[in-house]
Amino acid sequence: MSLPRAVLFLWGASFRNRLLRQLARLRKPRYLLGALVGLAYVVTVLSRGLNLRAVGGSGVPQGARLFAELSLVGSALGTVFAAWALGRDRPSLSFTESEVVQLFPAPVTRRALLHYKLVRGLLGATVGALFATLFVGRVVSGAPVLFFVGASLALGTLYLHSTAASFVRTRLAAWGGWGVALRWAGVALAVTGAALAVLSSLREHPFPEEVGSSRELRQWLESVMETPGLSAVLWPGRVLVGPALARDVDGFLRALPPVLGLLAAHYVWVLLAEVPFEETAVVRAETRSRERALRASGHAARVGKLSPRKPPFRLSARGRPEVALIWKNLIARKRLAGGAGMFLLFVVMGGALAAMMGDARLFTDTRRVVGPLALTLAVLLTVAGPSAFRMDLRMDLPKLDLLRAMPLTGRQVVGAELAASALSVGGFQLVLLAVALVLGPGAEAERLGEWWWPGGLALAVLLPSVSLAGLFVQNAAVVLLPAWVPADTGERTRGLEAMGQRLLTLVGSMVVTLAGLFPAAVLAMLVGWPLASVLGAWALPVAALVAAGVLVGEVWLGVMALGRAFERLDVSEDRQE
Amino acid sequence: MDSVLRVEGLEKLYGDVKAVRGLSFDVAPGEVLGLVGPNGAGKTSTLRCLAGILPPSAGSVHVAGHDLGRTPVQAKRELAFLPDEPRFFEYLTVWEHLNFTARLYGVEDWEARGRALLEEMELSGKEKSLPGELSRGMKQKLSIACGFLHSPKLILLDEPLTGLDPIGIRRMKASLRRRAEEGAALVLSSHLLPLVEELCHRLLVIAGGRAVALGSLAEIRARLSGPEAEAASLEELFVRITSASEDAAPPATGTRPP
Repeated sequence: MSLPRAVLFLWGASFRNRLLRQLARLRKPRYLLGALVGLAYVVTVLSRGLNLRAVGGSGVPQGARLFAELSLVGSALGTVFAAWALGRDRPSLSFTESEVVQLFPAPVTRRALLHYKLVRGLLGATVGALFATLFVGRVVSGAPVLFFVGASLALGTLYLHSTAASFVRTRLAAWGGWGVALRWAGVALAVTGAALAVLSSLREHPFPEEVGSSRELRQWLESVMETPGLSAVLWPGRVLVGPALARDVDGFLRALPPVLGLLAAHYVWVLLAEVPFEETAVVRAETRSRERALRASGHAARVGKLSPRKPPFRLSARGRPEVALIWKNLIARKRLAGGAGMFLLFVVMGGALAAMMGDARLFTDTRRVVGPLALTLAVLLTVAGPSAFRMDLRMDLPKLDLLRAMPLTGRQVVGAELAASALSVGGFQLVLLAVALVLGPGAEAERLGEWWWPGGLALAVLLPSVSLAGLFVQNAAVVLLPAWVPADTGERTRGLEAMGQRLLTLVGSMVVTLAGLFPAAVLAMLVGWPLASVLGAWALPVAALVAAGVLVGEVWLGVMALGRAFERLDVSEDRQE
Repeated sequence: MDSVLRVEGLEKLYGDVKAVRGLSFDVAPGEVLGLVGPNGAGKTSTLRCLAGILPPSAGSVHVAGHDLGRTPVQAKRELAFLPDEPRFFEYLTVWEHLNFTARLYGVEDWEARGRALLEEMELSGKEKSLPGELSRGMKQKLSIACGFLHSPKLILLDEPLTGLDPIGIRRMKASLRRRAEEGAALVLSSHLLPLVEELCHRLLVIAGGRAVALGSLAEIRARLSGPEAEAASLEELFVRITSASEDAAPPATGTRPP
C-alpha cells in the first residue's frame, strides 16, 4: 500500500471510528441532551454567520470593510514577519509521537513525508478558514462562500510560506554567523523599508488635527493606504486577501489568479528549500508528548518550568492533617500562579487601556479612578474568581487515587481543597476593598458619603462568602457530575455533545449559585429592613453578616454532603467513560 | 500473632465485569506475600481495594485491626500504597513531599527520618528538586521514601522495581527485606517472578479475579501432581497454574480500567 493510500485509510478509519464512538455515546441520555443543545448552538451560530440573505455585498458597511482589509493584511504581513524574525532556526514541521513512530521507520521517502505534512497543514488552513467564515464572515464579507474559499487559499499560502521560511532559516543557520547575519540583514532591510514607507505616507497625509466623524477617519486611512510607498508595502497582503474580500463572483475570479500563482510558487519553493526535518520533529514530538502527560496528570495550569518559591507558611508535623492539603494548594497557587497571573494581567491591561485612551486621570486623580477600579475588580472577582482560582478539587481530582489513599475523611478532603481557593479569592478581594476604601472618594464624597464605610464593610463580609459559594458549586460539579464536568486534565473532550454539555453545566452552575444566594438575600432583607430605621446605613453590614452567615452555613452543609459523595466516588467508574 | 492484613470475600465489579472474585487471605507481621497472575488477572484492582482507593463491591478488609470500610482513616494510617506509576504534585519539591506526608500521618521526627530515607534511596541533594526534574527511577524512589516515612505496618507494592537500575534494584530488595524484618507486612505484586521467588514467603496466584493458588512455593509445588512438579521453577508453575485456571473458567471479559 502506498503512503497516500495508507494515509487516506488512516484518516478515513479514524474519522469513522470517532463518529461511531460518538454515536454510541448518544445512547446515554446525558450525551444525547448535550448533543441536542450543542446542535442548537451550532445551528444558531451558522445561521447568523452565513446569513445567506446578505450575499451581494450590500450588507457590509464601508468602514467594516476597510477595518477587515486592514486587519487581514496586517495579520498576513505579521505572519510573514514572524516566520523570518521569531522562533528558532529549525524546520517548522511538527509530527505527533504516533506519526514519528509509525511513519518515520516506514519505507517512505522524506519527500513523501513532507507532502503528507503539507496536505495536513493545508487541511488545517481550510478548517481555520471555515471557522473564520462562521464567526467573522458575515461581518467582513457579504459573500460567505467566496470568503471561505479565499481565506482557505490565503491561509494555505501563509502556511507554505512559514514552512519554506523555516527551511531557508535552517539552511542559513547551518552556514554559521554569516548565515544568521544575512537573515537579519534581510529582515532589517524589509522592516526599514516598511517603516520609511509608513513615515513618508504620514508626511504626505498627516493625521487630521480634528476628527469629527468616523467617515473622516476612514477617508484619511484610505488616502494614506493609497500612497505609493504604503501601497507597495501592503501589496502582497492585499493580493493574498483579495479573493476573500471580493464583493461578487466577478471580483473573486479577477483576484484569484495572482493568489493561485503565489500558492503554486510557494509550493515549488518549499520543495526546493527542503532540509532534513526528522531530528527536530522527533524532539518536538517528545516535548509535546511530555507536556500532554503533565496536563493529563492534573498539571494543567502551566506546563512550563516551575520555580520552587518559598511556601506560604511552615507546615509542622503536628495538628489537623487536612491543613497539609491547604498548604499544598497555596503552594500551587504561588507556583502555578494561574489566577494571580490572570488578575495581574487584568489590572495591567486595564491601566494600559486607560493610558492608551489618553485618560490621564488614572495617574493624577487616584481617588476618583483607583478606588472605583479596585472596587470594580473586587466585585468582578466574585464572578470570575471561582473560575480563575482552581487550586482545589478541579486541580486535584485527576489524582483521585492519591487523595483517596490519604488518611483523611471525605469531608476533610473537600473542606481543605475548597479552603485554599476560597482563601486566595477572599484575600484578593479584601486587599482590593481595602485599596478602594482607603484610596476611593471617601466619606466626604457627595451622595456616597454616609454609605462609604458601612457599604465597604458589608462588601468585605459579603463578597468572600459569595465567592466561597461559587467555588463550592464548581467543586461540587466535578465530584457529583464527573462525566459532565471533567476536572482539569488539560485534555478537553471534543464533539458536539461535549460542547452542549459544557453549555448546560455552565447554565446549571449559575442557576444553582443563584438558588443558594436566594435564602441568604431573603434573610438579609428580613433583618436589614427593620434595622435600617434604627441604625441607618450601618444596618447594611449587619444584613451582610446575616447573608454571609447563611451562605457559609449552606457551604458547610454542602461540604458534609459532598464529603460523603467523595468517599463513594469510584475512581474506576469515572475513568471508564 | 494477629495478622496485619485480613481479607475476607473481597470482590470488585466494574459494571458487569467481575475483576476480583471472593479473595480471602491473611498476611502476618514480617511476612511478604507475592501477588502474581497474568495480565488482567485483577492484581492492581485487588491492591487498590486494599489501599482504600477503590471501594470493594463485597467483602471486608482489615488493616492492623481496623476495618477499612468502617474506619478508613485509622486503617489508612497503618498502610502505605506504592503504585507502579508514581504520582506526585508537580509543584511540590522532594522535601516538601516529605513534609506534606509527615503532616498527613503526624510524623513528628520526620526531618531526621526523611534525611535517612533520602540517603537510603540515594536522593540526597535532590531535596529542592521538583518531580518533573527527576528520572523515572528517582520518582519511584521518592514514592517509596514518602511511603516509608510513617513506618507503616502494611506496605502494598505494585511492580516496585519498575524504572530502577540494577544497583537500585539490589538496594530496594534489601530495603524491603529490612522492613519485613522490622515487622511490616508486605504485599508485593510483580511480573518479575525471580523477585517474587527471592523475597516472598508466600504466593497468591490469581487468574480471572480468582485465587487459584495460595501458599509457600513448596506448598504450591506439593499440591501440583506430576513428576516434573517437584523440580519446576516458579515460571513453570505459574504457567501451569494459570493455564489450568483459564481452561477451567474463562477469565472475566471486558476492558480493565486503567
